[in-house]
Amino acid sequence: MNVLLEARRLEKQYKLGGGRVLHAVSDVSLQVHRGEALALVGESGCGKSSLGRTLIGLTQPTSGEVLFDGHRISGLSDHALRPWRARMQMVFQDSSAAFNPRRTVGESLAEPLRIHGRKNIRARVDDLLDQVGLARSVADRYPHEFSGGQRQRLNIARALVLGPDLLVADEPVSALDVSVQAQIVNLFRDLRASLGVACVFISHDLSVVRQMADRIAVMYLGSIVEEGDGLEVLDRPAHPYTKALLDAVPRPDRPLPPPLKGDVPSPVNPPSGCRFHTRCPIAQPKCATDRPSLQPCGVGRRVACHYPLVA
Amino acid sequence: MGADSLLDIQNLKLDLPDGRRLLEGVSFQVQAGEALGVVGESGSGKSLTAMSVMGLLPGLYASGQIVFAGQNLVGLPDKSMRKLRGARIAMIFQDPMTAFLPVRSIGAQIDEQIRLHQPRSRREARARTVQLLGRMGVPDPAMAAKRYPHQLSGGLRQRAMIAMALSCSPDLLIADEPTTALDVTVQAQILTLLREIRDEGAGVMLITHDMGVVAQACTHVAVMYSGLVVERGPVRDVLDRPLHPYTQALLAAIPPLEGPRPEQLPTIPGQPPTPENRPSGCVFAPRCGFVRPDCGVRPALIETEEGRRVACVLYAV
Repeated sequence: MNVLLEARRLEKQYKLGGGRVLHAVSDVSLQVHRGEALALVGESGCGKSSLGRTLIGLTQPTSGEVLFDGHRISGLSDHALRPWRARMQMVFQDSSAAFNPRRTVGESLAEPLRIHGRKNIRARVDDLLDQVGLARSVADRYPHEFSGGQRQRLNIARALVLGPDLLVADEPVSALDVSVQAQIVNLFRDLRASLGVACVFISHDLSVVRQMADRIAVMYLGSIVEEGDGLEVLDRPAHPYTKALLDAVPRPDRPLPPPLKGDVPSPVNPPSGCRFHTRCPIAQPKCATDRPSLQPCGVGRRVACHYPLVA
Repeated sequence: MGADSLLDIQNLKLDLPDGRRLLEGVSFQVQAGEALGVVGESGSGKSLTAMSVMGLLPGLYASGQIVFAGQNLVGLPDKSMRKLRGARIAMIFQDPMTAFLPVRSIGAQIDEQIRLHQPRSRREARARTVQLLGRMGVPDPAMAAKRYPHQLSGGLRQRAMIAMALSCSPDLLIADEPTTALDVTVQAQILTLLREIRDEGAGVMLITHDMGVVAQACTHVAVMYSGLVVERGPVRDVLDRPLHPYTQALLAAIPPLEGPRPEQLPTIPGQPPTPENRPSGCVFAPRCGFVRPDCGVRPALIETEEGRRVACVLYAV
């Protein structure tokens, strides 16, 4: 079986005061294959981080289930989840918050190995530093002694400590300068090639995603609106929202088309029908009443739109 | 150009009290009706340059010239500076949350700014505030003016801050990463706004690290590295035909949004120097692929063709 992670009809809701409910993730089903890189893209508040955290068991879904390597991991207690934690790890955006400032990075990297009862700890730490392109000697230094790019390398090393099958990386390069960003993007490619680790990248930057991911899922207000091969989706978007996102990226070679109207509606009170219909340039009356489901559209591609831009 | 420029910065140097030099001699101009993009990575000195123009760096020693509308701002008494700041030179920041006081409505804060510089009644000021918010595309501006900063979305807050900055029709608008924290669709709205401001005759200085933003919103660009301008010129020319090896490397490191996907992205080896270990010659030499012996002498920012300048020995005559 080639599927490593599967989400089935995942819902994540947060109860707010006054009986209001925030729908962070709504009816998401997706698969991540072994060694594959999937990107979740969308604007702030679209639910991509909530989905990422739910996939990896950092938060429990309100309903639906998550299967890892064929086993149901949603709904498990923290204790029962522990053996699975070693196989899926998270890389966070803020690399300075992921390490204890009072410990050397070598100590921090060694700790999970000790907890999980692994042997040859020092050799493993050396290995990790080699893999992420840092000198072995940095193990004796403290987190504040590193630049942003080096810290992000350490952050990745930390996630790789226990040899996971899956990394979920939330905006792993968005806080970095362009030249450093390119180094980290390349590092993820190298690591995937050498370790065969599957990745879920959460990002708002379409050009970074295009470079890093095999497959892309575009999210809007908690749902996937389009999913498919990365180059296919970005070069020939089928959903009007994907096209609007692409159009809004400033590029040297063409003027900006008229921007989308208005703001993203509140996930507390999402619009009826297609959730994008209030801002969609090609919305029809049907879009305000009938919610489109994700339907196949070409090879290995799905789109949730009554009037997709490509058939 | 010089004399006619709205803003003419010549050889601006900025020192810490301990002698460390943060800006090594920045020179560029901004004309009325033009937008200059100042690009560079963290620590290159782009924000320091902007704050110097605003006179907002107490405790640092500036030398050189910042000539705004014929007046040198370096060493200008704070009282005179305060008359310019907010009235003729305005600035917007990346985080509008910090530009507004959280405990007063945004309308009250924009009213105050107007009345500080212009003799207007409260009612007149509010009318102007509502008009400005409306022009920024804020829906139901009269209602929005009564709201507190935390009640607005990020995009609306950013527009409210631009409204406040434009309240006294400044001649020069300095925008420091105004869209970095925003989603692309909101960013597109703000960039369109900046274009309109420029079309109406104001000069804009836009600080950003995003080359796409520069391409969309600017007419000219200055590339900064380690406290220096290493290249500047019209946007089209610089982006299509970058001359300085640093500009070339910076542009090459951006993953493409169309066309073939490269196996590896080109990167720049090493890291930018800190002020303490800045090389005495070309500041980019330690990371440059074209380095040669004469890079040991700091190259001047020389004109290579009409309106274009670059500081690199490859183009020395």
